[in-house]
Amino acid sequence: MTNELRESVPVLTFPRQTLVSLLVFAVAWEALSHLAPYLGIPPFAIPSFVRIARSVATITPIDIAVTLARVIAALFISFVLGLALAMAMYRSDSLDKYLHPMIRLLMAVPVVSWILFAVLWFPGVEFRICFVLVVVCGPVFLVDTLDAMRGVPRELRQMMQSFRPTTWQYFFKLMLPAIVPTIFTSWKVNISLAIRVVTIAELVGAVTGIGHQLSVAQELFSVADVFAWTLVLVALLFLLEAMVARVEARVLRWRT
Amino acid sequence: MSGPPPIEVRGLRKVFRQTTTGQSVVAIDRLDLAIAPHEVVAIVGQTGCGKSTFFDLMIGLEAPSEGTIHIGDKSPHGDFDFFRGKIATVFQQDRLLPWRSALDNARLPLELIGLPETKQRERATTWLNRLGLGNFTSAYPHELSGGMRQRVAIARAFAVEPDILLADEAFGHLDEVTAAELRNTFLELARECGSTAILITHQLEEAISVGDRIVVFGKSARLLADIHVKQWDKSSYTLLREAIQSTLQNNQADPRLAQRQ
Repeated sequence: MTNELRESVPVLTFPRQTLVSLLVFAVAWEALSHLAPYLGIPPFAIPSFVRIARSVATITPIDIAVTLARVIAALFISFVLGLALAMAMYRSDSLDKYLHPMIRLLMAVPVVSWILFAVLWFPGVEFRICFVLVVVCGPVFLVDTLDAMRGVPRELRQMMQSFRPTTWQYFFKLMLPAIVPTIFTSWKVNISLAIRVVTIAELVGAVTGIGHQLSVAQELFSVADVFAWTLVLVALLFLLEAMVARVEARVLRWRT
Repeated sequence: MSGPPPIEVRGLRKVFRQTTTGQSVVAIDRLDLAIAPHEVVAIVGQTGCGKSTFFDLMIGLEAPSEGTIHIGDKSPHGDFDFFRGKIATVFQQDRLLPWRSALDNARLPLELIGLPETKQRERATTWLNRLGLGNFTSAYPHELSGGMRQRVAIARAFAVEPDILLADEAFGHLDEVTAAELRNTFLELARECGSTAILITHQLEEAISVGDRIVVFGKSARLLADIHVKQWDKSSYTLLREAIQSTLQNNQADPRLAQRQ
């Protein structure tokens, strides 16, 4: 690996300040867990790290895999649909005028409403979860992509057109590479959004996945389990973001 | 090889409607112009005289409101795809794609005409070498100086060996030494390729040093003067310069120009 490439690959680093704040939080939590009975707080509400560690040890990888698969599949579907619609709206002003209000409307609907609609409309659990994720993440991809396409400098568009490309050449040789930086940003935003939304969607009706396990933990009043699964979700989010950042650094290395 | 076809502009008129006021603006008003194959024509005029609109019409990006432009028997706008690989442009700014290396920028038009990749690379490398960028083929635009970037843009235009070369203030933003050097290279290569070249400029020195002909546009691209530079010997270039300047200032042909036409 060359020095240039090594520099461009993002590395998860923990600066001293981050470590200190995490340590302070951990110490405070641990102290509070021991003091809870004396403060009138039920012991299960603030479990010690030993208890949380025991919960982490019982985490089932299959639930992580299921949630991860749901998130990745839905993000890809959202991306493809968002990109295709953005291309169509970019090319057709009238389509843009008809679809734009609809997209704004979709983006204004709360996630909980989408989950309730999905439960009432669709019998299949997987379809419900996928529907909710796509309807939440798809418009974000669409709006970001469309804005980026419109932001491609007029000078570059004119230069490209002067060489008389076909429609596909124009898209693949100018528009797509020009909007790649925005697409990566959109992916990072949507990963975070999807991780949060999938958890809520899995709370309703799913029998697998992290959201379902959180629901079980809530029924059992196990704060340690909730803590453990939440840690998994955060780790999952960091992992996916790091993966996207790595691909981004590689694809956009011309910027360094 | 048959060479570039003649260019014939007849009764060309371009009217724009201003989006804010709704008023019509006549950018070009009934222009007639004929350009022979292999000619190098410099078009000069003051800012806002319709030079750039003429450039867009020549590329085919805009349709005439009235009148015609014919290159051979085809229209650059109506027969847009026919001219793929036949018309190439150099703009004021280099307009390189920032995510592509110099080589990949230079071979862009070759990709568009569907040349096999090895040939694209071969030909683009040859042109970059000719423009003195042999050691910078893998450099990205932001790693190159303004002059070097404009060289890549010129290599990109010449790579397809076009019939018609259009340049819009292509050297105006460079320092005088670099601009003069690039102008000479451009002219040399255009002659070698046998292309017809149309250069739009507001610099009289550039027009005189490059053009076989100098076409002077007045307001709304009214043809004020059509000067065949060969009719002037080098010792009278100062006079020619003054006459063009006076034509532009008074918006009518200077008598000194009329005497030689």
